[in-house]
Parts: sequence; C-alpha cells; structure tokens
Amino acid sequence: MAASTGFGRVPRAARGAALHRRIGTIAGAMAVGLTYIFLLAPIIVVIFTSFNPTTASAFPPRGFSLRWYREFAASGSFTSAFQFSLWLGALAAVFATTIGFLTAYAARRFVVRRRELVQSLAMLPVMIPHILIGISLLVMLTVVELPELLTLLLGHVIVCVPFTVAGILASLEAVDPGVELAARTLGASRLRVMWEIVIPLIAPGLLSSLIFAFIISFGDVYIALFLSGPGMTTLPIEIFTYLQWESTPVVAAITSVQVLMIIALGLVIERLVGLRKIIRI
Amino acid sequence: MTGDRRFGRLLLSPITLLYTLLLLAPISFFLLLSFYEYTAFEMYRPNLTTANYDRLLFDPYYRNIVYRTLRIAATTTAFSLLAGYPLAYFLARHAGAWRGVLLFLVIAPLMSGVIVRTYGWIVLLGSEGMVNNLLLFLRVVDKPVQMLNTEFAVILALVHILMPYMVFPLFSSLAGQDPNLVRAAGTLGAGRVRSFLEVTLPLSRPGIVMGSVLVFTLSAGAVVTPQLLGGKDMQMLGQTIYELILTVLNWPLASAVASILVVCQFSVIFLYFRGARRGATA
Repeated sequence: MAASTGFGRVPRAARGAALHRRIGTIAGAMAVGLTYIFLLAPIIVVIFTSFNPTTASAFPPRGFSLRWYREFAASGSFTSAFQFSLWLGALAAVFATTIGFLTAYAARRFVVRRRELVQSLAMLPVMIPHILIGISLLVMLTVVELPELLTLLLGHVIVCVPFTVAGILASLEAVDPGVELAARTLGASRLRVMWEIVIPLIAPGLLSSLIFAFIISFGDVYIALFLSGPGMTTLPIEIFTYLQWESTPVVAAITSVQVLMIIALGLVIERLVGLRKIIRI
Repeated sequence: MTGDRRFGRLLLSPITLLYTLLLLAPISFFLLLSFYEYTAFEMYRPNLTTANYDRLLFDPYYRNIVYRTLRIAATTTAFSLLAGYPLAYFLARHAGAWRGVLLFLVIAPLMSGVIVRTYGWIVLLGSEGMVNNLLLFLRVVDKPVQMLNTEFAVILALVHILMPYMVFPLFSSLAGQDPNLVRAAGTLGAGRVRSFLEVTLPLSRPGIVMGSVLVFTLSAGAVVTPQLLGGKDMQMLGQTIYELILTVLNWPLASAVASILVVCQFSVIFLYFRGARRGATA
C-alpha cells in the first residue's frame, strides 16, 4: 500500500521495504500464534489429561480411558457440588438479568442528566476486588441475621449485574425510541410499553445476559470461598479444596465437562448477539 | 416529565438497594473492623485502636508479603501488556474474516473460570508435566525441574488467567482508531515503526491504562492461583486475608491487611489515570 503512493521511490528501496514488511508480518504472525498456544494450552492439556488411565496428572497421556469420568459420576461430593452450582447459577442469572434490565432501561430512557454516572456506578463490583465482596458479606452475617444461602446467591447476583447491565445497554441501543413513543401516544402505560414492546424487541440480548451471568456465577471463586458451607458448596470451591491435598485426573474430567458446557453456552451467545457486546465493559 | 423521572427511579431502586445494603455497607463495616480490638472469643470488640496497623507495618513477615504481592502484580501486569499488545493489535488490524473466531478463542478461557486454568498449569508444570517432558526430551535438563511452588509458576499462570482483561481494552482502543491516521503518517514519509511509535501507540494509551489497572488489581487480590501454584512460602496478600478470616479467625487484622490491599490498588489506579490524563494533554 505505502509503496504505491506515487512519490517515485527508488525501486530497490521499495523492494527492501517490502522484504522488511514481509519479515515484520511473519514475526508478528509468529508472536500471535505463540500467544494463542499459551492461552489455549492449559485448557487443551486438561481435556487430554481427563482421558489418562493412570493416577498421575501427566501429559502427554499414556493411553485412553474413561476411568476418571466414571469416578466423577460416582463421587457424591463432586456431582452434588456440580448440581448446586447449576441451580445457584440459574437463580443468580435470573435475578442479575432482571436487575440489569431495569437498570439499563432506566439509564437509557429515563435518566437524562446523570446517565454516565448511573452507568459507571453499575460497574462498581468489577472495580472492587471480589475477595473483598465475599469477606464483607461473611462479616455482615455476624451482625445481620440473613440465611447463608440467600447471602451467597445475592453475592453472585452482585458480581453478575455489571455484565448484564453492559450487555442489555448494548441491546437497547438498537431499539428505536420512536416505537416506544408511538405506543405511549396511543395510550399504553410505561409498564405496558416496557413489557410488550421493549422486552420482546431485546429478547436475544436478555437471553444472552442470562447465559453470561450463569457463566460468571458458575466460575466464581471469591464469593463462594467465604460463603460456602455444608450442603452448599459450589463446584469451584469443591475442586479448590480437593486440589490443596491431592491432584488426580478426576479434576481434569470434571473441568472438561465444565469447559465443554461453557463453550457451548458461549457459542449460543455468539449466535444470539455476539460475545463482544457483553464483554465490552 | 416528572412521571418519567419517578418511573426511572423506581426501575433503579433494586440495584440501589442491592449495592447499598450488600456491597457498600458491608465493605465499609469490614474495613472499619481494622480499627477494632481483636479478642479471641468475640472475634472483635468495638474499641478503637491502631494495634492492627502497627503489627502489619512493623512486622517483617507481613512487610515481605506486601512487597511480594506488589512485585508479582507489577510483573504480571508488565508481561500481560507485552504479550497482550501484539495480540490486540493483530485482532484489531489484521484478523480480517477470522476476527470473530479469534476473539472467541480469547474469551473462551476467560469464561471457563479461574480454577480450570489454574489446574491446567498444575498439569503442565508438574514434574511429569508437558513442560518438563519437553525439557528432558530436548536434553536441556537431565532431571525434572521444580516449577510448581515457585514465584515463576504463579506469575505465568496469572499472566495467562488475566491476559484477556488486558487484550479487550487494548483491542477496543486500537479498533476505535481511524486507520487513515496511519495511512496519513505513511504518506508523509513515516516508516511502519515510526508511525506505530508516534501514532498508534500514543492513541492506544487509554487501553493500556485500563488493561494495566484491571490486571494489577486482579492479580494483587488473587488467592486461588497463588495458593495452588505458589504454596505457603510464596504467600500473597489475598492468601493472608483468606487465612486470617477462615483459619486464624483474626478478623480485625484481616481487615487491616485488606485495607492495605485497597490502598495499594487505589493508589495504582490514581497514579495511572493521572499519568494518562497528563499524557493526553501533553
């Protein structure tokens, strides 16, 4: 591109420049390739290790077996933690999406002067170290009598809300305010406009936020680290506790199941609205 | 319309209640605990004292942990930036039709959670792991190298886990730039390197700042990764807080440690944004 600017460069210099560019491009491509290997290797290794027949978490694996998947299915503690995380994630996702929608809709349509402030305040839990949120909720329980399960759930809702607000705000940008105004002029109440016009229009965005909040809740460590208890241990905490004492490929089997589930959910979001819309904080 | 405003306030009430009652109030109370007296039986007693801070600031054990945390967080931030920048640049400028897939591959590890990725590094860095097998095969070493329970392992895994937080802000600031600027610099005779150093890099400063602040904050507060990959000898502030809360049960001291963490993080954020503003006006 730059060589064809028409300023009459010396051909040899142009050839030299082209060669330089070529080397630069190849070096760049290699750097990017290596970064991708670095990013993906630990996850790929985990999936391979889960089929390892021996006890050691060794890589490359020596043979193929489903032993660790059977062990996972047979272990009561891991399967119940998995189920608990599924339920907790689903509930947290519903609450976080509801609150996220109300906030985003208010910020989009009804807050005029302090819109920026509302949007940045909604992002607050991302700025605060999550370990602090978890501990504070635990300490709060010594002063206020709240059921532990509810506290854990609300803690998860708090860390999910910034993502649902950001995602739904992005979806709301595509809604023409004229449609809402028309409905209002024709006599629909604000509530009815919200329920019958806005929500159906951004349904894919809402569903994506729901899934993304579930993913955040499912992967959380720092809230559950302090608020888990007997009968309410999330999967990451169960694995963390286990890994402090031993590390057999049963963990690889569990995390492989988790990774596949999350990648599938991620692909659904990608199809619905595109993951980038939600990640954009 | 006043009705609009009232409706807006109604819609904002759930998040206001949630954040005030379950985020700001508990955190304020927890940080207040650092000025309370520690007693073994009641956890804390509301007598104001600075004993917790005295202990932290003058005990070399805790001072070492503070230094180590800052060192690990700073190194992690530097390496994430070094590795993340070329990736973000490539995604923003050259990825073309593959951009969607390649972005997904950056987001996918992020979504899989901290535990999954930390475990991946346990497998990779173990004495029978791939890294050691490769080194043995290439005859770089003749017996497995101890890589778990070192600062190296912690930093490596933290860079891996936190790199997406660096890549996304960088990507946004790079993708948002007008490509004509680089083209204009080229027309005016600047080479590739010069137009990168004098046009692209300064313009991506907001992304660098945002990504660095995120990575620094998140790595300074890490618990799970240093606990599993660094072990007891490599303790960081997050682990100290975790132990003081759940095993030692000295909550006032934990609160003082957490306050130090918060102060460190906010000073980094403050310095960074001030530096960014100065850079923008210069």
